[in-house]
Amino acid sequence: MKHTLATICAALACAAFPPGAHADTAPATVPVTAPGYKYVRTVGAISEYTLESNGLTVLLMPEHSAPVVTFMVTYRVGSRNEVTGTTGATHLLEHLMFKGSPMYNDAKGNSVKQYLETVGGMYNATTWLDRTNYYAQVERDALEGYMAIEADRMRKLWLHDEDRRREMTVVRNEYELGENDPQQALDVQINAAAFVAHPYHHSTIGWRSDIENVPIEKLRAFYDTFYWPDNATVSVIGDFEPAAALALVKKHYGVYPRSPQPIPQVYTVEPEQQGARRVTLKRAGEIGVVGIAWKSPSGRDADYAALGVLGTILGSGKTSRFYRALTDKNLALNVSASAGFFHDPSLFNVYASVAPGVEHSEVERVLLEEIERVKKDGVTDQEVATALAKYEASTAYGRDGSFAIASNLNETIAAGDWTLYYTLDDATRNVTAADVKRVANAYFDADRSTTGWFIPLPATAPDAESAPAAK
Amino acid sequence: MRLHQMKQLTFVAVLALGLVAGASAQAGIASRAVRTDIGGIDVIIVRTDVKDVVTVTGSLRAGDDRSPEDNVALATVTGAMLDKGTTKQDKFALAQQLGNVGASLSFSVGASTLQLSGKCLRKDLPLLATLLAEQLREPAFPETELAKLKKQLDGAMKSQLEDTDFRAEDAYTRVVYPKGHPNWQPTPEQFITAVDRTTIAEVRQFHSQYYGPAGMRLVIVGDVDPAAVQAELRRAFAGWSGGSVPPAATLAPALTGARQDVVFMPDKTSVSVIMGQPTQLRYSDPDSLALRVATRIFGSGFTGRLMSNVRDKEGLTYGIGAYVGNDTFSDGDWRIDASFAPALLDKGLASTKRQLALWRDQGVTAEELARAKTRTAGSYRVGLATTSGLAGTILMALDSGMPLAFVDEYPQRIDALTLEQVNGAIRKHIDPARMVLVEAGTVPGGTAATK
Repeated sequence: MKHTLATICAALACAAFPPGAHADTAPATVPVTAPGYKYVRTVGAISEYTLESNGLTVLLMPEHSAPVVTFMVTYRVGSRNEVTGTTGATHLLEHLMFKGSPMYNDAKGNSVKQYLETVGGMYNATTWLDRTNYYAQVERDALEGYMAIEADRMRKLWLHDEDRRREMTVVRNEYELGENDPQQALDVQINAAAFVAHPYHHSTIGWRSDIENVPIEKLRAFYDTFYWPDNATVSVIGDFEPAAALALVKKHYGVYPRSPQPIPQVYTVEPEQQGARRVTLKRAGEIGVVGIAWKSPSGRDADYAALGVLGTILGSGKTSRFYRALTDKNLALNVSASAGFFHDPSLFNVYASVAPGVEHSEVERVLLEEIERVKKDGVTDQEVATALAKYEASTAYGRDGSFAIASNLNETIAAGDWTLYYTLDDATRNVTAADVKRVANAYFDADRSTTGWFIPLPATAPDAESAPAAK
Repeated sequence: MRLHQMKQLTFVAVLALGLVAGASAQAGIASRAVRTDIGGIDVIIVRTDVKDVVTVTGSLRAGDDRSPEDNVALATVTGAMLDKGTTKQDKFALAQQLGNVGASLSFSVGASTLQLSGKCLRKDLPLLATLLAEQLREPAFPETELAKLKKQLDGAMKSQLEDTDFRAEDAYTRVVYPKGHPNWQPTPEQFITAVDRTTIAEVRQFHSQYYGPAGMRLVIVGDVDPAAVQAELRRAFAGWSGGSVPPAATLAPALTGARQDVVFMPDKTSVSVIMGQPTQLRYSDPDSLALRVATRIFGSGFTGRLMSNVRDKEGLTYGIGAYVGNDTFSDGDWRIDASFAPALLDKGLASTKRQLALWRDQGVTAEELARAKTRTAGSYRVGLATTSGLAGTILMALDSGMPLAFVDEYPQRIDALTLEQVNGAIRKHIDPARMVLVEAGTVPGGTAATK
């Protein structure tokens, strides 16, 4: 399955709003009473329950606009839980989760992919910095069949070394595909320079040598450490009845106990950065890239909403400052700006593709001039209003289908507070121009920045032109 | 145009269902759809239960196939100029109006059409309709913007040249399709040369000649009042005329034999591969669905034969799939897309060819066909979830020449296919001995010359 470099790229290329920001316009859901559950709270249209026997968190969001349902399990383990030698292990394990169990496997014809493709489900799994999720969007009648397989592989996965060996080369090709792209490759280098202690240092795909060599025993240990009900949240969104869904979850997940050991928590805190850092990546290529990353707060931080608005003002569409200063002047092909929405403090990233014939230094200079202008003069009320209008509309677009809702909810779970799916809306609506100026000054500190250049080198191999000739 | 239409090898693509990926099979879509001719535009409106969201998609026959032989970039340049300002307002004012309400409106040029894409909230549909009509009917085509656009297109093309998927596709299309076929593409150099010497006068002439309601289609899906939408469109497009539908293209001939082309690119860690052939089939042709289902069994999803064997059993690739495509407005092609590490390229290709030979020679089984049918039916209903999936499905069906009822009938048509029809389509239309293999990347021992 895939990890989320594609998602990262989408975030870099598009709006600066976080993946989990959505409006509180849906009607509140009336909670139900279900045996074995503790009702926790209802926020917006989502109700939270805890399966008392094992601590599994359950989020229910009935939504009946179409006769389908999205079921998703989010494990609170991502590449931030990895250390040297196991980088990429979370993602490799995610791939191995499709290799079957004694109950459900290809030989029996009932593996998760066989089941879901037979019923026409849309499914996948993704891994990112703070979480791993498995999901499917299916017709409502197929919900229990999928849930049974998903629950089974929480604790009964085979994890054969033979599967690891075969899947390693698959994952390595995924790594190679990412390295093919200059901006993705530069992003890896910038993160590695920006974080020296915190595990956000390494990318989710991991280092090549770790992908190739991590032993099955370490993957097994990883599985046995993190794949437990009390480290997971299941979300059910779509056309279902809450009491029936809770009963199904209990039937299939209630068979497991809590983790026998406390789930290990990441305690590493990135030391204060005390000076600007730079990285350079040189490879054969055509187009240069300039990336600048400043340390930014957690997605749960009170400043996050204002940073989201700032990202939109700087980098979203033709009305943005970077478009006017760079793209419209043929200095850059495109520019993006966004604040990372993660569990721990991360980065506010700006990326610009350098137009042909333009120096990297010129693009960097203009980017920084615009940053300084915001810090000194702030932004206008009109700019904030436009950013908020985009936010409100994106909120509605994010409700177009149960899968869209699930994918956004997933990132708020990963950030450590699913209620951000709603509460971030309120925070964003209250952002003022003064807030934007304040956070620009608070976080756009040159001494807490990392700048990267991708410098394309001319082709040195026999011929880089496509002049295919028939055999 | 080429900068937008190149398909990336993604998981989503592997699972794609062909024409109706993400489609909706909601009972009676055709009966719920409101279809009207508005000033010559074919307008289809479907109200769904989604709250507030409206998706607009459409097509206009001003694609690359309308570009004159001496300016292969003209359709693309014209389409790209639509959002650069109108006679009423400049590009920033346009963008600000959309931004004020969080709406989006974009244009892209493909092989046969200008594609329209918009999204807005229910309350803002009148604005979106106004801006859509204004940009289509009254573009200002400022000289200053053309100068900027030329540099942007030059840079965008250079950026694409770094992409192994793009380079493989780029080379593939010129082998599979002859010059003059809608799906043929000029070389990047030809394209950029044409961009550089495009004049505003040419753009204006192209716009005048090909933009108009004839041959234009709009599909609007979501939280809408169809009568109100119709009224807005009548207002916005009143008095517009022009446009045309080009004559049907001549079929691309079958290749005369197997060939292998290498696009060598240094410093790439993965090689993009396309292996395929022209099909000489349009989507609306009788064998098309049977070939699609056969191809789905071969190369779609994780249970398809290619992913099951080349990836799952042998670990040779992250992604591999097979598709029938580019057949909406003309005959299309059949292909396998894959990525391989340079060191595993030969093994990967050998495995792929083994699977291709098995599928071609022995066909699919009754069990595989039965699973494909249930999968299609299920995924069709799952596609109910989004306005964009439904809108795209309707547009594609109608653009392919199918009736609106086809959107409802699709699962039944798939279900009616027999094993003989499916395997017969493979034998009739697929010939590994007359396929091209394109490899793009740091191919071991590769040069631009024949491998």
